[in-house]
Amino acid sequence: MAKINYKKLQGSQNLRLRLLLSTLSSTPILIVDIRSNETIPGLRPHEISLLRLIEKVCDDCHVEINETGTKLKYKPGIVMGGKYLVHDCGLSRSIGYFLEPLVVLGLFGKKPLSIRLKGITNDSKDPSIDTFRSTTLNILKRFGVPSEGLELKIENRGVPPLGGGEVVLSVPIVHTSLMAVNWIDEGMVKRIRGVSFSTRVSAQFENAIIHAARGIFNRLLPDVHIFTDHKAGAQAGNSPGFGISLVAETTSGCYISVDTTISYPRKEETAEIEDDERADLKPPADVGVEIASALLGEIEQGGVVDSTHQGLLYILCALCPQDVSKIRVGKLSPYGIEALRLIKEFLSVTFAIKPDPSTGTVILKCVGCGLKNLSRKLS
Amino acid sequence: ALSRQNKNLMQLVYGKSTSDLASDISEPQGSTDDESEDDDFFKPKGEGAKKLTDALGAVDVNGDECSKFTSSLNTKNWNDHDVVQSIRDRFVTGDWSKAAQ
Repeated sequence: MAKINYKKLQGSQNLRLRLLLSTLSSTPILIVDIRSNETIPGLRPHEISLLRLIEKVCDDCHVEINETGTKLKYKPGIVMGGKYLVHDCGLSRSIGYFLEPLVVLGLFGKKPLSIRLKGITNDSKDPSIDTFRSTTLNILKRFGVPSEGLELKIENRGVPPLGGGEVVLSVPIVHTSLMAVNWIDEGMVKRIRGVSFSTRVSAQFENAIIHAARGIFNRLLPDVHIFTDHKAGAQAGNSPGFGISLVAETTSGCYISVDTTISYPRKEETAEIEDDERADLKPPADVGVEIASALLGEIEQGGVVDSTHQGLLYILCALCPQDVSKIRVGKLSPYGIEALRLIKEFLSVTFAIKPDPSTGTVILKCVGCGLKNLSRKLS
Repeated sequence: ALSRQNKNLMQLVYGKSTSDLASDISEPQGSTDDESEDDDFFKPKGEGAKKLTDALGAVDVNGDECSKFTSSLNTKNWNDHDVVQSIRDRFVTGDWSKAAQ
């Protein structure tokens, strides 16, 4: 067998982006020193789970982890896709953590992907599934992803610490390649939509959040509608909590989103606190004001996507055919910058980044790497 | 000034050269030499790296991977009339000709 040339990387940072870009560019990677100096060294449960998930949707990929988990060898295979797959995402990160890379991988599969993901649907760390439905999927469509077969169904909700949520993701495949975009007009906000949910608490929490958020928006826009999604019984998962996802839709078809979830902390974070001493959940009215302010902050910043979606936007641009894509973002987000660096490393796509002083935004231009859906071609 | 700013953004993302970064890193390490040996001995290993992360605005080598970014977006008081006026034209209820500019 021919010797495989591994790209050598260090540390645990950006494992998700590295695995995604490694798979798309068929570059085997070897990561050393994964948290080798920490009290608990090695890969975290959600990272192992992500690797298992990639193994599930790919054929012929090879994962090797050393005993302490500080060293990872990954040889990407072919993205297969497929129906009726099931994956338990565990409880250390929410389903959003897994969806972000999975949705891009799915596009370049041999067959359309349909997978049931179990775990935490809403938490404060990762984009919630509501944001995924309202915003992320719409961003994909902008790049020529067919809307038919692109879907995320929420069956049960689950918040930390115990989760219990279930969603079904369907991703179609791109038949040849994505479409380059010229997307610099953010337009004006014409309406604000949102979903507020609660699990295992009174539906009053949702109403209080919505009332507070509306109070902020009322001075700016009459067209504000926030739906409620009160879950009870098995559909509410295993832990009490509530949250909200908001999206501002603009006249030029941009979606700017924010979301948040309030729930009791995970066990390891409260190891020192006695169970009966647990703090109350944050008042929903405060949450409403905060999240509405965060949305206005994102709108003020400008750009065709919010700061959370910058990484995805850059990756999609870089995967386009050899054609120029031009996009506008508000401010470069830390995750977006990491994505830009890794895109250069794996796909050799460098963006031209120019500030636009009149609006305080940033314009990025790149020529795509021309990734074809190779998995499909082989069939 | 514009071209300089432009260059800075490219540098911020893709870096100028590794030698520049290396000199930044060596600085705080050098300063610890002044402290007594005991202090050095008991220093948690991550500490120096953490300080560096703050200074450079770079991502922690073993940090959590999050696309969500919620730093200073919440700081403004959006109940304030003047603050609200500052983004009025980003909404369809604002001045369309101004927004088109």
